[in-house]
Amino acid sequence: MDDIKNPTSLINKDYETIDLVTFEEWIEDSDKLSKLGVGVILEPSNDVGLIKDKLDSIELIALDFRNFDDGRGYSQAYLLSKRWQFKGEIIGINAHLDQLQFMIRSGITRYQLLESYEGFDEEDYSNGFSICYQAAANNSGLNLKY
Amino acid sequence: MYQYNAQDKQFLVERVDQFEKQLKRHLAGELDESKFRSLRLRNGLYMELHAHMLRIAIPYGILSSDQLRALADVADKYDRGFGHFTTRQNIQFNWIQLPEIANLLRDLTDAGLHAIQTSGKATRNITADPLSGLTEGEIEDARPYCELIRRWFNLHPEFSWLPGKFKIAINGAKLDETALRIHDLGLRLVRNEKGELGFSVFVGGGLGAAAMIGPETASFVPIVDILSYLESSLRIYNLKGRRDHQKKLRIKFLVRELGASEFSRLVDEDWQQTKDDPELKLNLTELESLKKDFALPIEPINLDGFKETVDFNYSIWKKNNVRSHKVLGHSIVNISLTKLGAAPGDATSEQMRILAKLADQFSSGEIRTTKRQTIVFPFVRKDQVFDLWKSLEQYGLSSPHQGTLAQIVACPGRDYCDLAKAVSIPIATRVQERFNDMNKLLDIGDLNINISGCENSCAHHHVTDIGLLGMQKNGEEYYQITLAGETLRETHIGKKLGPSVSGETIVDAVENIVNVYIDNRQQEEKFTDVFKRIGIIPFKEKVYG
Repeated sequence: MDDIKNPTSLINKDYETIDLVTFEEWIEDSDKLSKLGVGVILEPSNDVGLIKDKLDSIELIALDFRNFDDGRGYSQAYLLSKRWQFKGEIIGINAHLDQLQFMIRSGITRYQLLESYEGFDEEDYSNGFSICYQAAANNSGLNLKY
Repeated sequence: MYQYNAQDKQFLVERVDQFEKQLKRHLAGELDESKFRSLRLRNGLYMELHAHMLRIAIPYGILSSDQLRALADVADKYDRGFGHFTTRQNIQFNWIQLPEIANLLRDLTDAGLHAIQTSGKATRNITADPLSGLTEGEIEDARPYCELIRRWFNLHPEFSWLPGKFKIAINGAKLDETALRIHDLGLRLVRNEKGELGFSVFVGGGLGAAAMIGPETASFVPIVDILSYLESSLRIYNLKGRRDHQKKLRIKFLVRELGASEFSRLVDEDWQQTKDDPELKLNLTELESLKKDFALPIEPINLDGFKETVDFNYSIWKKNNVRSHKVLGHSIVNISLTKLGAAPGDATSEQMRILAKLADQFSSGEIRTTKRQTIVFPFVRKDQVFDLWKSLEQYGLSSPHQGTLAQIVACPGRDYCDLAKAVSIPIATRVQERFNDMNKLLDIGDLNINISGCENSCAHHHVTDIGLLGMQKNGEEYYQITLAGETLRETHIGKKLGPSVSGETIVDAVENIVNVYIDNRQQEEKFTDVFKRIGIIPFKEKVYG
């Protein structure tokens, strides 16, 4: 079995510990929480559109990719990153090696792989192709053909 | 004809390299079965009853003679010397060994062939009318659009892990050879009142246990905006589609639950945010370049003095298998692979090589595949049709069955597929044996029979004149009969005739249905028209009476 994590905090890019609240907690009390510099952890079933109005007061957003076949996180990442231009980090947690390329191009800025993938060459899977056939949230490092 | 360039082929190699690594990890126990399943399906690989099955894409149904030779080589080197042309413009190999997959796929990359997204919960091979570009009255050749849309959704980062599989068909002709309204998403090329080109969009069609005809969600999307509209449709599906119920994964269930107008409203709301994004506009320069690549390789020829050879067998074959071409002096030739006892759509490596050779000689090196599992030579000179027929005769490929009842569409069935509940091919064979008199077949005329071995409906039994669906009853094989489905002129799901019929008596039932048709038709009336006029009762009485 994969070692699924349910983090209550994450380290941001400045090495500060950021407490995480759930989507429900944020919706319930976003006025108060938006002053505390917290991050929000989203599950695939959460309607990401409901947090878009106060994105500026969210420190970081964690999207959960534990379920290999559940692709909603990719659309959540796209909407946050490209459409609503979320400025903080979008961190993919419980990530799978074989899906890194999809996560990164959808707008995930950082990821935490499940432990079972330790020791594999992440580079190989995060940027496995020389070409991309579509515009996406992140096309860096790829030749475009579309 | 359009061919992949070096950059595209490099991409195919990279995809094989990646899959090979995943396969090695799986075989070493480092990638569990459920994840590997998800990954292998996206590379066209199924675990079937006896071996692995690999599905190779034939984008919009077009193959060059060299590509067909490459497939013949695969059939010999990795399979048992044959391949199976499917109803969705793919070819399947049924006897593949797992450790050989990467080498097989690598062999195909040079020919520009691949198995990417031929299965799995992603956008599948995009299908088109096999006669695209060839017939009069076409609104526009769909193939350049198929290619641009295929590319766009090739390993699309956002839409590669959808709730269910997603099949797209595009039609640019007046008659709908693609059956687009039974697809997850169908695009019909149309012109608006200003004469501008765009697409009507139909979403949520599908066969299976709950057959549905896709409602129209947009009547006119300008061609330049189609990518953003498709993305919005897929985004709504990705975010809101059912993932909690194995049998409700397809977009048709979402469209049904929300209602077509609400689904359409949600798509439109999303689309308003992206339609002006310059990155999402269809690349019109690339479109023009593709139109040149897809231009017909023939010029009009005046054959005024040409006299057709008189030969009885030739004339029968020609009547059924040859169609007129929009380019003067040319014909479209249909070649049936149907042989008694063999699976419809099956071709041996030898047949593939012969067809490749004949395509070079008679059809500018191009071959097309159809949803009736036949082969089309799209560019045959009228004064060479007889010579082509002679060659086909010599190789046993001159079956005059095209468009007759004997040209049966059948899935592999329980003989090969572990999803199937009943056999398909032996039923097709028995029907062909029952109707093996050519005069009788000609008298019956254009009548289609499709046989699916289970509710997955791979043989499209809902949308044909006589559809048979295999099922199990108390450990025995039974077949449910549906009548008068169609997609060509308009889309109708066939009507269930009544209780399912045992495998033992199913061929009698088919014969009875055919007889009711013949006894009641007026002049050249089609089966669906007779059914509309006389209703289901006469058929019921004859079959169950």
